[in-house]
Amino acid sequence: MFDLIIRSLTQRKMRTGLTIFGIALGIFAVVVMGGMSEHMNLVVDKSLKLLANNIQIEPDGTYGGVGTLDESKIRQIKRIPGVSDAYGVLFTMLDPESGGGGLTGGDMVFGVRPEKQMIDAKLTSGRYLVPGDGYKAVVGSSIARKFNLKVGDELEMKSKRMQRTSSITNTRNVSVVGILEYTGSFFDGSVQIPLDNAQKFYKMENTVSFIYAEPAPGVDTSELARRIDLSVDKVKSTSPEQLRKDIEGNLMIFSLITISAAVLAAIIGGLSVMNTMLMSVSERTKEFGLLKALGAERKTILLMTMGEAALMGVIGGIIGIAAGGVLTHFLNKSFEAQGSALFAITPRLVMIGLLFAISLGIICGTYPAYRATKMSPMEALRYE
Amino acid sequence: MNNNEPVLRIRDLRKTYMQGKIPVHALDGVSFDVNKGELLSIVGPSGSGKSTLLSMIGLLDRPTDGSVFIDDVEITKAKESEAPRIRREKIGFVFQHFNLLSTLTAMENVDIAMRFNGTSKNRRKERAFQLLTKVGLGDRVKHKPSELSGGQQQRVAIARALANEPAILLADEPTGAVDTKTREVIVELLKRLSEKGQTIIVVTHDMDVAQQTDRIITMRDGMIASDTGVAGNEEQGL
Repeated sequence: MFDLIIRSLTQRKMRTGLTIFGIALGIFAVVVMGGMSEHMNLVVDKSLKLLANNIQIEPDGTYGGVGTLDESKIRQIKRIPGVSDAYGVLFTMLDPESGGGGLTGGDMVFGVRPEKQMIDAKLTSGRYLVPGDGYKAVVGSSIARKFNLKVGDELEMKSKRMQRTSSITNTRNVSVVGILEYTGSFFDGSVQIPLDNAQKFYKMENTVSFIYAEPAPGVDTSELARRIDLSVDKVKSTSPEQLRKDIEGNLMIFSLITISAAVLAAIIGGLSVMNTMLMSVSERTKEFGLLKALGAERKTILLMTMGEAALMGVIGGIIGIAAGGVLTHFLNKSFEAQGSALFAITPRLVMIGLLFAISLGIICGTYPAYRATKMSPMEALRYE
Repeated sequence: MNNNEPVLRIRDLRKTYMQGKIPVHALDGVSFDVNKGELLSIVGPSGSGKSTLLSMIGLLDRPTDGSVFIDDVEITKAKESEAPRIRREKIGFVFQHFNLLSTLTAMENVDIAMRFNGTSKNRRKERAFQLLTKVGLGDRVKHKPSELSGGQQQRVAIARALANEPAILLADEPTGAVDTKTREVIVELLKRLSEKGQTIIVVTHDMDVAQQTDRIITMRDGMIASDTGVAGNEEQGL
């Protein structure tokens, strides 16, 4: 049976090739778009895990951006029952002229209190920040790779301030004391320096971007976030659960857009299978009539026709996945040189791509196959 | 080598088509028997019902009424799902335009008929070669239809029809698409097969072919006009 399927496909090389190309293109889109979405999911997931169980407090009205909070609010928050500790973090861009930044990419400077720095991420070399460190920095793996840094090397920070129509850019070197290992989170693109030095360099004394409140053991974080909102003026608190929900909600929209575009491309590939199979069935009416006259059962003809469609799906799927894999690999390589990857081809994505290709082939091959089996052998044999 | 046991019995076979609102009686009460090893030809003008009759015997179409028995089994009562098995076990078809699969070699064209009843690959290969040798094409097994002459293609088709050792070989205008010289080769082959015990029914327009068969049934308007196999009919038939 399989040899007959192969023969039938190879007999119409051009058409088979174009159909496979159609499917491959669709699956390629699924893999590339899906890879982008998977990468985002992984980064956010890991980043949220590293943020631990703290409540994030930001100025009210800063949707998605980074605002500023007066440090006095930390003291207010600390006094709220259920808060065991609170600390501020200053977020700025490492290079204000390059743009970008935030959870999804870009290099960031985190001004942190050394005792509150993120130590869930392990060091590959050097040490964490300690109280009393001046312009010292612990850098993420992407930063280290991008600037080719080793412990003891110097890294240049820039601050940009607008003054009427011109801007003044200050620079300052910090020395690297530690390098974090790869986490797959936004910490890979981070430069952590002591908070007071960051505030001084960026001329943002007594200011932080976010305040993190550590809940006391057994305290309901959602309830505590509400209490912070009520007790402190002009802040917006987000519990870890809410933060996850918000980010996942945003990601869902992103995923929906990318996946829809990819699915659309794949469906067009599927339609090309259906077109090919319909043409093929119509051309082979006499052949199917003959096979029936020779004693072939309906299911044999059904399996043959669907087998052809499924095989084109499998081949197209494999080519699409391979092409998507190769392209994303090279794109990742080129992006990694600048600090961060953009795609993640996960086993789940490969499975989805392959299953999608096969189902596309089978589903789009079913109707033509049904038409092939429905023909009466006599009518089929008389067909010209 | 005619044996007197009927391998095929047809009783009061009728087929009515509707042409718009007008019923057309393609077969109108046809009855006859065919004995094992008989070489029978069915002749008649176009539209006389000979091809329809062949389709009913070959289970390619269903009659409106009446019965067809092959080896005492009433095939007209078989369910749709049983039809493929009956076709491959009891019937071998030979068509006017050969109907070989163009992508397959002569050997594979014979082989394919045996695939559907689960014959092992080795056995298929062996039998296909044997049959092609029998029809004089032992040296052409690897040729594709496009590399064979019309007569050679028809011989491959005959080998294919014999692959499953059918009770009856049905040939619809087997010499209709070949020249006179090739026609003689095909008829000789059919005669030889009949002498070895193969029951063969040939539908033909060609009286030269019909006259070389054991028995001739002439059809007209869906009925048997004459049958040389029935005493007293010979003169009427020819």
